[in-house]
Formats: sequence, C-alpha cells, structure tokens
Amino acid sequence: MIVLQDIGKCYTSANGPLQALEKVTLSVADGEFVSIIGPSGCGKSTLIKIVGDILEPSHGSVTVNGFSSRQARLKGMFSYVFQNPVLLPWRRVIDNLKLPLEILHRPGRPLADLLDMVGLRGSERLYPRELSGGMQQRVALARALSFDPAVLLLDEPFGAVDELTRNTLNEELLRVWRETRVTVLLITHSIAEAIHLADRVVLLSKRPAIVKQVYDVPFPRPRDKALKESPPFQEMVRCLREELD
Amino acid sequence: MLAGRAGLRPILAPAITLVALLLLWEAADRVFHFNVILLPSPSEIAVAAYENFGRLLKETGITMFESVMGFLLGSGAAFLLAIVFVHSRLTQEAVYPYAVALKSTPLIAIAPLLVLWFGNGVLSKIVMSALVAFFPVLVNAVNGLTAVDPEALDLMKSLSASRFQVLLKIRIPNAAGYIFAALKIASSLAVVGAVIGEFTGASVGVGHLINTSSYYLDIPLMFAAIGMISLGGILFFATTALVERRVVFWSATV
Repeated sequence: MIVLQDIGKCYTSANGPLQALEKVTLSVADGEFVSIIGPSGCGKSTLIKIVGDILEPSHGSVTVNGFSSRQARLKGMFSYVFQNPVLLPWRRVIDNLKLPLEILHRPGRPLADLLDMVGLRGSERLYPRELSGGMQQRVALARALSFDPAVLLLDEPFGAVDELTRNTLNEELLRVWRETRVTVLLITHSIAEAIHLADRVVLLSKRPAIVKQVYDVPFPRPRDKALKESPPFQEMVRCLREELD
Repeated sequence: MLAGRAGLRPILAPAITLVALLLLWEAADRVFHFNVILLPSPSEIAVAAYENFGRLLKETGITMFESVMGFLLGSGAAFLLAIVFVHSRLTQEAVYPYAVALKSTPLIAIAPLLVLWFGNGVLSKIVMSALVAFFPVLVNAVNGLTAVDPEALDLMKSLSASRFQVLLKIRIPNAAGYIFAALKIASSLAVVGAVIGEFTGASVGVGHLINTSSYYLDIPLMFAAIGMISLGGILFFATTALVERRVVFWSATV
C-alpha cells in the first residue's frame, strides 16, 4: 500500500517561488495499476519523483507498506521507466539489464526469463544504438523489472514512440503486470492509454495540483485492443477529456 | 585504422601529394640551386638522414620517451584532479581558476625555471610535457564527468547507488569520449613540450640535435631531425586515435 499524504512541492524559480503541487492525497493498493493524468506542467513528473524519493516534498509524506519513501528506496523497492530509455550506450542489452543488480547486489530475476518477458531474446548481445526506439524502451522496461521491485514508476514511458509501437508496448506492459503483480503508477498524456491500462485513473488539476477526481475503470480484464473501439470506453475517454479541459 | 572503407585511397592520396611536393622541391633546387645552408634539397636531407640514422633514431627515441612519460603523467594527474573537482565543489571553485590561469601562461616562459629545478636531464622535459598535456585533459575530463544525462542520475538515485558507483558506471564512461578528444590534443602538445624543454637546456634529444646542427650549420641534418620528430608526433597521435576507437567504440563521432 502506497499512501501519499498532503504532498506539496514548491520550487524556487527565477520569478520567485513556484508552487507545483498543492496538496495531493492518494493511496494505491498493492498490485494495483493506477494512471495519473493532468494538464501539461501540472507537476505529474514531480509527483512521481517524490513517490520514489528522487525529489523531496516541501510538505506531506509518502509511505510504502509502512516504510518512508526513503527507506523504501534504500530497500530497492522502486523502479523507474522514463520517457527516454536512458540506456548506457557502452553496455550491451544484457549488461544494461544487469545494471540494477550490480548496484543492489541482488541476484534478481533470471535474465533469460526477463528477455522472454519483453520479447528481447536474441537481442541480448546488441548495443542500444542498434535497436529501434520501441526496442530500447523494452530494454528499459526489462531493466526496471530485473530486480523484482515492489513499485513500478512509469513517467510517460511510451511518449516518444510511434502509435503502433505504443499499442504493442501497452499490451506487453499489461502482460508483464499480470505476471509480476507489481504495483504500477503510470503518468501519461494519453487518456485512452490511462484508461486502457489502469484499475483507477487519477486526474490532477492544473498547477498547483490537487487530486481533482479519481475514476474507477469498470472494464473487466484481460483487456484487449478491441476494448478501445467500444462505445463505453470512448464515452469514458470523452468524459475525462472534458474534465481535463 | 588507416585502411578505411574506401580501400587504399585515404592513404594513397596524401602519399601522392607528399611525393609530388618533394619532387617539385627537388626539381626547383636543381634549377635554382638554393643555398644548402638555407634550404637543402630533399636528396641532401635524405643523405644526411642515412648517414646519421643511428643517432637520429636514438635522439628521437629519447624525446618520444620524454613526451610519452609526460603525457601519461600529465593526463593521469588531470583525470584524478577532475574526479576530485566533480566530487568537491569547493575544491573546484578554489583551484580551477588557477588551473585556467596557468593554462594561459606560455609554457616557454617557465621552461628555464623547470630546467633549473629539475636539471638538464630528461626529468625537466617530462615535467614540461606533463604540464602541457595536463590542462586540455583537465578541462575536458571535468566537462565529461559533469555532462551526464540527468535522467541517468535519477535512475542511479532510484537504485540508491553510491557516488562511487555513479562515478564508475556512469560518469567515467560518459567522460571517455571527452577525455580522448583532449588526449589527442595532449599527445601533440606533449611532444612540443619536450622539444621546448630540450631547446632550453639539454645534452640529448631531438631539440638538442636541432640546436647543435644549427650551430654547425649542418642544415640537412637539422631538417632530418625535424622530419623524425614530426614522424614521431604523428605516430603518437595516431596511436592515441587508435586506442580511442577501441575504448570509446560506442561513440558515433569517433
């Protein structure tokens, strides 16, 4: 269980203090998949970085299964995927996957399973520059899962890939989530993606952000691509879009 | 590294230019009969090189030894200092301006001082070489160790990586491209440093040979010595570039 209590974040900018997050309160159950959407620049990335203790909140607190976010980070419970794959160009795919294991000194998941999970079998000896954008993001996802984290923090992970690749990666993410039962927090710009993947969708207000609304996604799992074409799904997308504007 | 994708052409084309220039020079000498004290012909230089080959090889070897030692010392020290700078802002702020100021000081101005301190032998030349090699490597190493993708640092932080792990796994590989760019410059500068040191005061080395042959007006030998050390410098640079390709294999710019 992740509990965010009254999270606020204030930056000092050249034009004086900038309030990014006002008061964000939210709880996420173990194994839950939660999408976070909100207007551009509302502090979504800031929020997810605070959850993972990359940034410190100005006020409020985060707890993960009773641990503070700092303790949880030190235990290696968090894993990130960013919009850019952030692969190390001097390491082969397989060695990029091993990076978290080297740092955390954990055996982690068998690398062969990991490669199979994201469809990278056969590419393990390649260097990142030899892979397409979608494949690079698959490596980033596999790296994030390599050490069996408790919480997967996804910061617009599919924002930089084309529509077709994005759909495939969405399917794979769902499958991986089913297999690992990891708790997922996903930031995205795509309302359809947010609904399609998540148990709940959290809508943030514009800056300074508060939780404007939380939607339960009523569609049964497993979900497939066809769901996106169905009228109830599109009705929900339309409804959220209106709220977002 | 010399045999590129275009086959022998990258070697052949400049080689033909060289031969053509030498032939032109030789022909001009036959027609105009330049004074051998001012401009000997290529054939006269070749004869001088042949007659003094053992000596040329020995003196060039000494100068190259000084250059390589100075290069290794200077760039090694610069690399270590850059690592200290990156981890201690205070040290960087306190020391870096002086490093830049020293960089702008013409080395030739302190050459006599170095000879006074470190003697007439190879040590003063090694120190001189090290000093010139030091600054470009320092500047580029600091840049390379600092110019890390912020998201890579976030990734490392999310894994609670130590500063040493960040240094080893992210910063140093990231800096490798920057450092090799500087090492190529430093390899040429190191030879310049050694020769300047020898001009200032030495009993061996190419610089000394050039000096003495100028006293004895043995200009063909002087040209041969210049040719030898230039060849040494080129080899040094090419070796550095070759190592760069091996080490920084992932970089598109190499």
